[in-house]
Amino acid sequence: MERRCRTTRRRDIDIIETAMSVAPLRGLLLSFVLLASCKDANVPDDTTPPALSVIGFGSATDRYTAELWVRGNVAYTTSWSTRGGIPGNAIKIWDVSGSTPVIVDSVIVQNAGTLGDIQVTEDGQYLVVAIEPSPNGAMAIFSLADPRRPVLVTRFQTAATTRGVHTAEVQVVGGTLYAFLAVNSGSGTSGNLAIVSLANPALPVVVNTSITGVPFVHDVFVRSGMLFVARWNGGMSIYDIGGGSSGGSPSNPAFVSNIVTAGGQVHNIWWYHDASGNRRYAFVGQEGPASLFNTSSGDIHVVDISNMSQPREVAFYSQTGAGTHNFSVDEQRGVLYAAYYNAGVRALDVRGDLSSCTTAQKSPDGRCNLGLMGREIGSTARSEVRPSYVWGVHYVNGRVYASDMLTGLWVFTPAVPSNP
Amino acid sequence: MLPLRLTLCAAGSGAFFLVSLQLPAQQADSARKWSATAGAQAVGVLTHVRPALRGRSLTEGYLTQPLVMAHAASPGRLLGLSLAVDFEGLTLKRGELNPGVYGEGYFDRRHPHTYLHEAIVSVGHSSSGRAYSLSGGKGFVPFGTDDPMVRPFVKYPANHHLAQVLERSMIAGALRWQNLIVEAALFGGDEPTGPGDSPQWDRFGDSWAARATLVRQRMEVQASFASVVSPEIEPGGGLDQHKSSVSVRFGAGRWSSPYALVEWARTDERSGGRNFGYFTSALAEGSLVRRSTKFAARLERTTRPEEERLLDVYRTPNPHSDIATIGQTRWHIATLAVSRQQFVGRITTEPFVEATVAGISSLPGSAFDPAREVFGSRTVWSLSAGLRLAAGTLHRRMGRYGAALPDDPAAGHRHH
Repeated sequence: MERRCRTTRRRDIDIIETAMSVAPLRGLLLSFVLLASCKDANVPDDTTPPALSVIGFGSATDRYTAELWVRGNVAYTTSWSTRGGIPGNAIKIWDVSGSTPVIVDSVIVQNAGTLGDIQVTEDGQYLVVAIEPSPNGAMAIFSLADPRRPVLVTRFQTAATTRGVHTAEVQVVGGTLYAFLAVNSGSGTSGNLAIVSLANPALPVVVNTSITGVPFVHDVFVRSGMLFVARWNGGMSIYDIGGGSSGGSPSNPAFVSNIVTAGGQVHNIWWYHDASGNRRYAFVGQEGPASLFNTSSGDIHVVDISNMSQPREVAFYSQTGAGTHNFSVDEQRGVLYAAYYNAGVRALDVRGDLSSCTTAQKSPDGRCNLGLMGREIGSTARSEVRPSYVWGVHYVNGRVYASDMLTGLWVFTPAVPSNP
Repeated sequence: MLPLRLTLCAAGSGAFFLVSLQLPAQQADSARKWSATAGAQAVGVLTHVRPALRGRSLTEGYLTQPLVMAHAASPGRLLGLSLAVDFEGLTLKRGELNPGVYGEGYFDRRHPHTYLHEAIVSVGHSSSGRAYSLSGGKGFVPFGTDDPMVRPFVKYPANHHLAQVLERSMIAGALRWQNLIVEAALFGGDEPTGPGDSPQWDRFGDSWAARATLVRQRMEVQASFASVVSPEIEPGGGLDQHKSSVSVRFGAGRWSSPYALVEWARTDERSGGRNFGYFTSALAEGSLVRRSTKFAARLERTTRPEEERLLDVYRTPNPHSDIATIGQTRWHIATLAVSRQQFVGRITTEPFVEATVAGISSLPGSAFDPAREVFGSRTVWSLSAGLRLAAGTLHRRMGRYGAALPDDPAAGHRHH
């Protein structure tokens, strides 16, 4: 691992400076030009509600941008696959204090072809990055003593990770920091979840590898001592790792229940705690077949887990010609933001009862269609300038940040539900 | 009892079956009881590709297609065994430069086949223009055309994964009535993930295929269809494929003359009963032998998916961690080959030269263009020269078993 070379950093800054030196509007003009060149991209037809307004845009086109995380005035983005012969081995560090994100530094991760997931720990001390694919799969942990200059603490690469770490989530469970690594499948081997103790972040210790996918484990969501695992065609499985009554722990997760949502292909999960403390719903992202950077597929599934031992799917949201990817939720306002690849970012009003709807709003299998219920309250698809193929979204500090694989980092105003 | 001994051996990073054919004296003396043939081959080849990697040329040497083949049949062809052991896992780990070819984690390099390439037992019966058989084991599904290995070229066409389905656990029935052959098979859809990989037996029967062939003298017309579940993600859960193939063929075997094949193949990728894209191929090839010298030509137009590449740009994650592609390219490939067959004692030597030119087009909307990101050119030239060595009797057909073989299955390509 080393700091990115000065010339490349300079080039990135040059792009931004060129775009932004006169006025933010000039940056938007640049993005409009970028998008004009991509206007053949398959933006699906829909009856989209109001556009999410663009606050700013920072260009990053040397690599494909992947996931993002924002903490304070700093955003971190990863990169995916190769673009123009350049591997997706860069973490870009952005200053997002103004309206326009500006790249201030980058870190190159050695022997990496794709950096998928990225997250800052709750206390802000560490940055955790997933490294894939095989045979150099690993987790990198950086110190954020200076948030703008991450310093490598360790690159954790063992037999448990070499097949490639697709996603990495870090959460505190029972007072100890853990990483939950979705490890890719291999020859004759299904993907699995590696739970790693970061009690000493410099010396990670694998404590459990028993949870497997069908065939992938794609992601997890950890909250209040419960572990939600996206097991692809195996559906969503819920485990007690210290927050339930089953006596589980991170080293010995206790299975609670499982549900295979319609179509399987369970990719990501968010357990929603609303402003009043209600914890009824889990939102499940389905990642269907895609042809980057044109089409995608896969719905958002709403699972009622008011009885965790008997989850049931009650609603869904679908976009013709596009599919969802990662989520972020403004839990105070009750707005789910979904990265939706070629359909940009979609904002859904998820307040109240999502399982009750009219007959006309139901699908033949009885699930409520959030689109027909008028739950979609914001979208980038109608924005005058817009991202092309959105990987990730993060709602934080009253802003919606979105990583566009083709163009870079976007900032939007949040959607506001119209009625209480 | 079949006079064969299968011995499990360990070699390199994997295990394979070593086959020895043991003909008891009384059987060897009596062709009326058993017929058995065996042979071996290997090809030493030097390949120059220009450009091969971002404008640079590469020249590499390989020992490719090192195989041992055997066939045995009982009197009246009631029982038969086809066996092919392939040692490419030991000699082609990095893959063989072959622009346009893809599959099993390799792009623009041909992947090594599995050690146990084929092991099929057939039972059947034939009488008065009718024949039927039931075949099972690991081998070629009744779909598409013969394996490129028994056709006139050393380098593979780009459509190998569109036009053949091989190295699968399978059971196939074949019925021949006069000029018509009908086959149907159940098999496991999973492709191998490496030379030492074996079929996922729990997936046996998740896929099926059917083929009809009209045979008239040396002419064959076939149409086939295969429904393949998650071929590229071994445990299942990936995209399914619906594959179609139609071909007309004249002659069979690497030294058949004249020989001609015209084929069309299409693969639709599917999930949840919906199509999410398709790939097509049209190929024509032929050869003519004059005074032990073979002249061959092949033209091909094939579309293929593009996938995320690893740090080694000739490789992709295998299996993938999702079901996305990053584009499609169309390949126009023309190949000319000249080879000469000579005999040195019991060994057949076959020096050859093959020249190929490939044109690469990135289809609209593709995010990845190998012409730009891998080769550095839209036109790629390849020149290969080498020597094929063979002894004994090799399979003349690869892809048909039992009653589906239009001629005597034991009539392989015999070497002195």
